[in-house]
Amino acid sequence: MAEKFNFTKAYQKIEEINEWFQGEDIDLNEALSKYKEGMDLIGKCKKELEAAKNHFEEIKNQYKSEELSEEEK
Amino acid sequence: MEEKEFTVSEFIDFLNSILTPRRVVVVGEIGERVNEYPNYLYFKLLDLKEKAMLDCFIWRRDLEKSGIDLKPGTKIKILGFPKIYKPNGGFNFQVEQISFIGEGVLKKAFEALKKKLEAGGFFALERKKSIPLFCKRIGLITSKIGKGALPDFEKNLGDHGFQVYLYDVRVEGLFAIDAISEAIQWFNKNMINLDVIVLIRGGGDWESLQSFNSEKVAKAIFASNIPIICGVGHEKDITIADYVSDLRVSTPTQAAKFLSKNWENAAINIHKYEKGFSVFITNLFKNVWDRLNFFAKDFNTKIKNLLLEKKSETEELSEDFNKSKDFWQKRVRDILKQQEEKLNLSNPVLKLKQGYTMTLDKNGQIIKDLDGVKFGDLIQTKYYKGHILSQVKENKKE
Repeated sequence: MAEKFNFTKAYQKIEEINEWFQGEDIDLNEALSKYKEGMDLIGKCKKELEAAKNHFEEIKNQYKSEELSEEEK
Repeated sequence: MEEKEFTVSEFIDFLNSILTPRRVVVVGEIGERVNEYPNYLYFKLLDLKEKAMLDCFIWRRDLEKSGIDLKPGTKIKILGFPKIYKPNGGFNFQVEQISFIGEGVLKKAFEALKKKLEAGGFFALERKKSIPLFCKRIGLITSKIGKGALPDFEKNLGDHGFQVYLYDVRVEGLFAIDAISEAIQWFNKNMINLDVIVLIRGGGDWESLQSFNSEKVAKAIFASNIPIICGVGHEKDITIADYVSDLRVSTPTQAAKFLSKNWENAAINIHKYEKGFSVFITNLFKNVWDRLNFFAKDFNTKIKNLLLEKKSETEELSEDFNKSKDFWQKRVRDILKQQEEKLNLSNPVLKLKQGYTMTLDKNGQIIKDLDGVKFGDLIQTKYYKGHILSQVKENKKE
């Protein structure tokens, strides 16, 4: 199974690539592969940023929790 | 109807089964004598106005958790339950939590607890967990019915696909202490993959924030494996919970903004990076292309220069060669002339001129000895001018 997409890691990698691009003595092959990797991650991050609706769920409330703990027993 | 008969013990148990599940808060003043024992204490809670009195019992460990010294005359609020003590049938109130009443006393208690926890390393920055840059799964601990906190939080969170799990608790009064502590523990036990726990409540007076200034909540926050953001009340209210938490924000609104801020920035930055990367790679290749062209041009020039250089060298060489050609030609001519002279000297015609003759056999070959000459052969003797044909009469070797 493919590893779950990790936004934080991807974003940090993009920042890393961006920083690398600012450097000197850029190797052309490396630049090209980093560009490809960066654009791929950017695409995935954009997708993640688009899927935006929040999801609220009430998992416990003070009254229900007592009932729940009764049931759990 | 059959009459139910209790033993004394059974009856007290029966009464306690009715009394002890009830948890109530009672307000009063500490009486003059506090009886201290190693593990527990007795004191009286007085209602001076109505002339009433309640016998109270508290375990020392619960007292220590409250961070309060029982001094006669102090006004306090206690949370607990009524109970009948079997061995003597005495009724008392078993105290679970105590807090002071009155801002001045509360502040004092707050300072004392703060000092204690600070000394215990509860506020140390190095033990604080960092809040993940991008939080998605949030454990929210607050009151569902509170007026400010929850709506403010929801309103300012922004739609970034958050998954918010609300654990509804009381956030005011002595009951809140247990509720908040339990909520923190519950998330740590049941939802360990949360990115962050957010503990919020709206502002209130110092007394209403007591649960956030309790040692129990402080310890629960301290023990949490999930990082905790605490946003309580107004800007000026910094509670013990704020100090212990991994991140303190001033209000529920700020908590929400903090969580959404990074997502918003990411959305902006991702677009920037996308554009920047394309520009970068285009420029990079353009740059390389330009450089290649430059090199190609440069290479051409260099080759041309090199050829020119070589050409002039060749010319120099050929000039040298031309120069030396004359010399050699002369030399060759001289040699030839010498040879010619030598040859001339040995020219037979010259010899004939001097009076020498030359005799040829019948085949026209010069006769150098007499081996091939026989009697009667015709031989020819050459002179400088003309010849004589003779016949051999005698062949006599010397």
